[in-house]
Amino acid sequence: MLDVKDTAVTDDHADPVIGDPRAFAEKVAAWVPHDIVLKDAWFPLAHGFAVTEKPVRRAVYSQPYFLWREGGKAVAAECHPADGLTASKSAYTDAAGRYPVIEKYGYVWCWLGNPANAAPEHLPSLPYLPEDGGLPLHMLGTVRFDCTAPLSLENLIDLTHADFLHADVVGDEKMDKETVEVFHDTESITMVRTCVNKSVAPVMKLFGGVKSDVQQVRQVIRIYLRSHAAIAYGRFSPGDNVQLFHPCVPETRDRTRLDYTMNTSNVKKNNPFRYVMPKASYKVSRQDSSMTSPQSPRYMRPEKRKDLHSPLDEAGQKYRVLMLALAERQARGDFAHRDNVSADCSEIIGYQKP
Amino acid sequence: MVDGWWALARSEEVTSAKPINVDLAGQPIVLWRDRGGVARALEDRCPHRRAPLSLGCVLGNGMIQCGYHGWTFDGATGHLKDIPNLKSDTKFPALYRANAFAVAESGGFLRVCLDAKAAPPAPASETLPLSGTVNVALDHEHYIAALFDDPSLVLAMRGVRFTPYLMAELAEREGRLVLERSCQWAGPRWPSPFSSDFPITLRISTDPVTGECDLLLRDDAFNPLLSATLAPVPAARGVTQVRWRAKLATRRPGLMAKWLGAGTPLTVLPAIDGAALRVLKPSASIHAAALREAMTTATPQAGAA
Repeated sequence: MLDVKDTAVTDDHADPVIGDPRAFAEKVAAWVPHDIVLKDAWFPLAHGFAVTEKPVRRAVYSQPYFLWREGGKAVAAECHPADGLTASKSAYTDAAGRYPVIEKYGYVWCWLGNPANAAPEHLPSLPYLPEDGGLPLHMLGTVRFDCTAPLSLENLIDLTHADFLHADVVGDEKMDKETVEVFHDTESITMVRTCVNKSVAPVMKLFGGVKSDVQQVRQVIRIYLRSHAAIAYGRFSPGDNVQLFHPCVPETRDRTRLDYTMNTSNVKKNNPFRYVMPKASYKVSRQDSSMTSPQSPRYMRPEKRKDLHSPLDEAGQKYRVLMLALAERQARGDFAHRDNVSADCSEIIGYQKP
Repeated sequence: MVDGWWALARSEEVTSAKPINVDLAGQPIVLWRDRGGVARALEDRCPHRRAPLSLGCVLGNGMIQCGYHGWTFDGATGHLKDIPNLKSDTKFPALYRANAFAVAESGGFLRVCLDAKAAPPAPASETLPLSGTVNVALDHEHYIAALFDDPSLVLAMRGVRFTPYLMAELAEREGRLVLERSCQWAGPRWPSPFSSDFPITLRISTDPVTGECDLLLRDDAFNPLLSATLAPVPAARGVTQVRWRAKLATRRPGLMAKWLGAGTPLTVLPAIDGAALRVLKPSASIHAAALREAMTTATPQAGAA
C-alpha cells in the first residue's frame, strides 16, 4: 500500500538543472526510474466514453480505481461498488472511499495523493484538446508499453530515436540540420526539436498528400512530470500538424497504459491522414516497446556503470534530474506544486488556436 | 567463467545480415560478422540507453548500429564510431565504447571468451557436417551430470542403447574429464546386466571449465563410428543452450553400424524427462566436482614448475 504524508513545504528551491554540473551528472547517473513513485497528481485514467454506469477498473502503481457514472457524473472509488467499503481503505480516498475526480479534455482524471490537496489548478493544460471532450472515437485509442512509465517518457522526449525506430512512419535521420532546445520548471519539461530539410514522413507521403521529399519540422514534447502525461505537438511543412496527447499512466512500476488522443480535426475530412494517423500509434507503440521493454529491467536497480550521453540527450538528462528532484522532495514530505501546470501553454509549445 | 572459451554459436548461425543475441549465464552478447566475414562479439547492451544492440543492424562497413538512437560501434574494439544525428566527424573519447569480447572461430563453432585479451584456443582440425542447437530447461551443471550418468536423457544415437556400465570411470586425462560407457545395439539382446561383453562404447571427453564434450562412439575393434562435439552453455533463467556438431564415419563395419547412417544418427534432445531425471542416481558424475577442483588447483602449480 502506498503511503500518504502530510504536505510539508520545504525551502529547498534550488534548480537542480542549473546547479553544479558534477551534481547534475551524478543525478543523471542515479536514474532508477523503477523506484520513482510521484503523488499528489492527476492521472487521466480513462477516456470519457469508457466510463459508463458499469464500473471499470484502473490502477495507478497498483492502487485500485473503480470508475463509473452516477447521474451522468464520473466518480471513482477504491473499492468496487458491489464489494462496498473495506477496512483496508487507503488514505487516498475520502470517508466514503471516493477519489477526487475531474472530467476534462475528454478524460476522467483521478487524483493520487492526499485528497485534501486535489485542486483543478494542478490539472495539466492541453491546449489542442477540447475541454469538454467530444472528439470522434477514431482519434482515441489505448496502447500499452511493457516498461516503467518514466522510461516511456524519456523515450518520447529524445526524438532522435524516432529517426531509427519509427523511420518507416515519420522518416529517417537524413536532414540538413537539427537543433534541440529545452525549457523546464519544477513541474514540467519542454523540448523543441527543429529539423531543416528532414526526409519526409512516409505516413504523410503515403496518406497525407505530401509530394515533397523533405519537410521543415518543429516538434515539441512537453511532459507534465507528476502526471507522467505528455503533449507531442508537431508542425510539418509541407504537411499537417500532429496533435497528440500521450499520457503514460503507471499502472504498475513496470507497465504503462496509454489512453491517447490524436486530434486530427485540423486535417481536411477528405484527407486519409485524418483517419490513418491516429492508428499509427498501434505500430509506433510496439516499435517503442521493442526497445523500452528490454530497457526496463536494466533500470530497475542502481548500477555503477553510467550511461553515456550525447549533446542530443539534453532533454532526457534534464527529465531524469527533474523527476528525481520531485521524488526527493516528496520523500521529504514536500508535495507542494511550485509551478502552475494548468496555465495555458499554447505559447510555450507554439500552438495557435484556430 | 571469465577464462573459458564458450561455444556461443555455430558458424552458420552468425551472418552479416542481422546480429543475433546469445547469452552466457547473465551476460547478454551480440554476435555478427563484419565486412570481412570476421565474427564479432560485444555486450548486447548499448552504453547509451542500455537497449540491446542485437535489435539493431549491421551497416555496410561492418559496424553494428543500435536500433534505438543509431549509435554505431566498431566490433573489434567496441569503440563508438558515429552518432548519426550529430552530423559531425568528432572523434569520441575512448570511454565511449561497448564492452568487447574475444572471439575465436574454428571447427564450425564460434567461441567467445569474456576476457577480451585471452589467448585463443587451439583450432579444431575439422568442421563436423551435421549440426543443431537446442534449448534445454535444465541448468548447465545438472545437464552435464545427466550426460555423465545416463546419456539417454540428453541424446539419442540411432540404434544405440546406453548401458549403466562403464569401461572407464570419470577421470582426468590430459586436462580433460574422460569416461567411457559400454553400449549395446538396439533390438532383441541379452540384457546388459547379464552381458559378458559389449559391442560398442561411448567415450565422453569433457572440458572441465565449459563442459564442452567430444563424443566418440566406436566398436570393439576401435573403429570410430560417430564423432560429435556437444557444447552446453549456461544461458538465462537456468536454461542450457546446447550447440552440437557431428560426423558419421564413412567406413562402419557391421549391419547395425551401417544402420546408424540410415536416418538421423544423433539427436540432442530438446527436453529432459523430469520423472526419469529425478530418480537418476548419481554415478559417473559423483566425483566430477572434486576432479574439476583438483584440475583447476593443479594447473597453476604445473605452470610454476
